[in-house]
Amino acid sequence: MIVGDIKPIEEIILSISGYEKILIVGCGSCVSVCLSGGDREVQMLAQELNRKVYHGAEPSPITVDVILRQCELDLIQSYHDLPEGTDAVISLACGAGVQTLADAFDPLPVIPALNTTFLGASFEPGIWQEMCRGCGDCLLTYTGGICPVARCAKSLLNGPCGGSNGRSCEINPDVPCAWGQIYQRLSRQNKLHLIHEVQKPKDWRSGGAAGPRSRKRTGIAGSPGFQREGEKEGHSSNQR
Amino acid sequence: MNFFQVNSNCNGCLACLQNCPANAIDVQDDGKKRKLRHNMARCARCGNCWRVCPQDAVEFQYMLQNRWDEVISLDLEHCSVCGEPIYTTAFGDTLTEKLGKPEAPVCERHKPAFTLKVKAHFIGHE
Repeated sequence: MIVGDIKPIEEIILSISGYEKILIVGCGSCVSVCLSGGDREVQMLAQELNRKVYHGAEPSPITVDVILRQCELDLIQSYHDLPEGTDAVISLACGAGVQTLADAFDPLPVIPALNTTFLGASFEPGIWQEMCRGCGDCLLTYTGGICPVARCAKSLLNGPCGGSNGRSCEINPDVPCAWGQIYQRLSRQNKLHLIHEVQKPKDWRSGGAAGPRSRKRTGIAGSPGFQREGEKEGHSSNQR
Repeated sequence: MNFFQVNSNCNGCLACLQNCPANAIDVQDDGKKRKLRHNMARCARCGNCWRVCPQDAVEFQYMLQNRWDEVISLDLEHCSVCGEPIYTTAFGDTLTEKLGKPEAPVCERHKPAFTLKVKAHFIGHE
């Protein structure tokens, strides 16, 4: 899932200076589950801003909402209204959600209250670890299901490096060496021959080096080539 | 049947409520009863309630169950040749409205045969 961390409250307070009526919007998906941008965090942020910025003003100039997924424009436009007089929106979604919300509520300023940090997984309650960089060319077949791009500090495709002691990484003894883990896993799978194959330098174009990535899927209502009778062109100027 | 279910081990300690990141579990202390409520629209199905329950009371398997709920029941139209269900009566009405004339309910398989039959009837040849 997408993992995020809430920004320092001082930074959020600074970013809303001058605005008088704020809507705080959480996201009910990834950031809810990783305890950074769901209903609970929305309520806590509202309380803190009420206390520190608006000094408990009644009625509160802050309203709150949680959207199932902030990264889907039509859902937002169809099911979420702005309370009257709102002059700024604080989003606790990932960067994709913040930008979609900014598009949905354009020209209203949408301010991020979250730093989107990584694509991760939780192996034990309360701990999320980076697992994927979204490089667009998955190597996990050859590395025992352990990603060296995301989990090796140097993103080495042919490891381990000299900084490994087999178990941990030189950057921090608490960080496991991904290539040590790969070796162990491949060994258990009787596939150690894979580690001897030299991986060619990675083509990072699929990983974003060739510009912003997009995907077109056909076959669902609204997708390219599918137009309902009487349907108008996209919602906003930057939709294609 | 609810997706969110707890078994008789539940002692109402509210560990689930306190640890739900989506605030999808609510409590109502109503007279002599403590009632737990679950809100599926808020629920992120993260499983924290199941994870933290000290009584093993949360039956999370029902949240993951591959189960279908009926959402609507509509009358069907059948192929007038073979009787195969083809579309709903309401869809037939929409079709009639769009085409400006009623369309005979015939399946794809029997459409050519039906057309020939109609032609034979009205024009007198195949």
